[in-house]
Amino acid sequence: MGTYNNLKYVWKRYGFLLKQLVSRDFKVKYKRSVLGVFWSLLYPLLTMAVMAIVFTNVFKFTTPGVNYLSYLMTGLVMFNYFSEASNLAMSSVVANFSLINKVYMPKYIFPLSKCVFVGINFLLSLIPLYIILFATGTGINVYHLLLPYAFVCLFLFTLGFSLILSSVAVFLRDMFYIYGVVLSLWTYVTPIMYDISIIENPTLSFIFKLNPLYWIVYFVRRIVLYGVVPEINAWLYCGLFAVVFLALGILVFKKTQDKFIYYV
Amino acid sequence: MEQSYMVEVDSVSMRFNLGIDKGFSLKQWFVDVGKGKKKTKNEFWALTDVSFKVKKGEVIGFIGSNGAGKSTMLKIVAGVMKPTKGEVKSYGNICPMIELGAGFDTQLTARENIYLNGAIMGYSKPFIDSKFQEIVDFSELHDFLDVPVQNFSSGMVARLAFSVATVVDPEILIVDEILSVGDMAFQAKSEQKMLSMINGGTTVLFVSHSIEQIKKMCDTVVWLDHGHIKMIGGKEVCDEYVSTMVGN
Repeated sequence: MGTYNNLKYVWKRYGFLLKQLVSRDFKVKYKRSVLGVFWSLLYPLLTMAVMAIVFTNVFKFTTPGVNYLSYLMTGLVMFNYFSEASNLAMSSVVANFSLINKVYMPKYIFPLSKCVFVGINFLLSLIPLYIILFATGTGINVYHLLLPYAFVCLFLFTLGFSLILSSVAVFLRDMFYIYGVVLSLWTYVTPIMYDISIIENPTLSFIFKLNPLYWIVYFVRRIVLYGVVPEINAWLYCGLFAVVFLALGILVFKKTQDKFIYYV
Repeated sequence: MEQSYMVEVDSVSMRFNLGIDKGFSLKQWFVDVGKGKKKTKNEFWALTDVSFKVKKGEVIGFIGSNGAGKSTMLKIVAGVMKPTKGEVKSYGNICPMIELGAGFDTQLTARENIYLNGAIMGYSKPFIDSKFQEIVDFSELHDFLDVPVQNFSSGMVARLAFSVATVVDPEILIVDEILSVGDMAFQAKSEQKMLSMINGGTTVLFVSHSIEQIKKMCDTVVWLDHGHIKMIGGKEVCDEYVSTMVGN
């Protein structure tokens, strides 16, 4: 109850600031671009098209039983949320140092606002995803109503991970380079453009499944591509990863935030 | 009778580690190991055991040479920094006017920045809505509301920032050398505004290098010297400070 009242107070006090920071990001992002917010719809489609051309023609990837474009697009939309949000959030504390140094405000508001900002973009990118689902004949089913569970898990996991990244980046600027490499590795170990079944080595396959994003993408694909309710372990892993990383993120951020001011 | 004080600063000390700026670097580590050098501690105490209390409606000024710890003191009261030792208590909402316009995004228009900066200062949306006209009127930037701030002159930015910051009636006002912004006409106007805020019963913590301003506005003067309180008292502190400085 105390926590709830606390959250209510924080929302009342800083909700407007959060909205302003998110709307600032939107205004700046689409400033002087002719297509503006349409890019949020167009961009995922174009990325998908490029990857589809490369991976079906050059590497001859196929996904038996399901449409490859739908398969690729579901993976891309989910993974892109994570990579874009965590990447922006990582630099958010450092970038806003001039503010942190002058006015008191909760510092977590910067990574949080980035996760929310990219989250809105993510919701927009569901439009091209559904266009692809219909265009390829994959269609929709009633279990799509369960998808918000995966979205919430993805958001919480990303937020937790971003809190860790953004505080570590304050002390170690090398993170900007390291994480760039980590992200590109992460793109390939998450089965976005290929099916996990092509990994034949059982040890490697086990390691691949330690990836939180594997389970979130898996959860979504069970529903979108196969039209079934995800198995109980998929529900569990998604929820567990989300809660654990969020708790870890809050802990790390809280422990380090008072020292930020000396390092930026 | 605790509440009769608005701000209580209790034996506050603040340590900075000057070496931290370099941080740990792999290259430096190799160089140090090669030379057999130990990591040197490069500490700097910006404030040492500073205590004072500010009553409701009191105007307290801080004087001292550069690097005496004045701005650090204000930042600690504003909650931007946590003191290494000691404790700061404040009772009431604080309006920190430390380097105005820090929250501006130069790509956004003046109108958008009023809302963004207002939110950063902790205002609510209805509050900014209701005060919007007042802010614009005071800044006299009616014709430039929808122009991105990056096209503003620095004087215009300062005027906008000042207008946003001073639209509230804060209980505790923290001011770090901002009275002289804009052209001469605006300087007079902003000083007038500041005086009216102070006379409105606000508690003010004020840093300035203008002894004249301090004398005119402050009830209590704190003279900081290398992080210590050298003298605390009424306007006579200013005279003492000036004579010491001239004597040197």
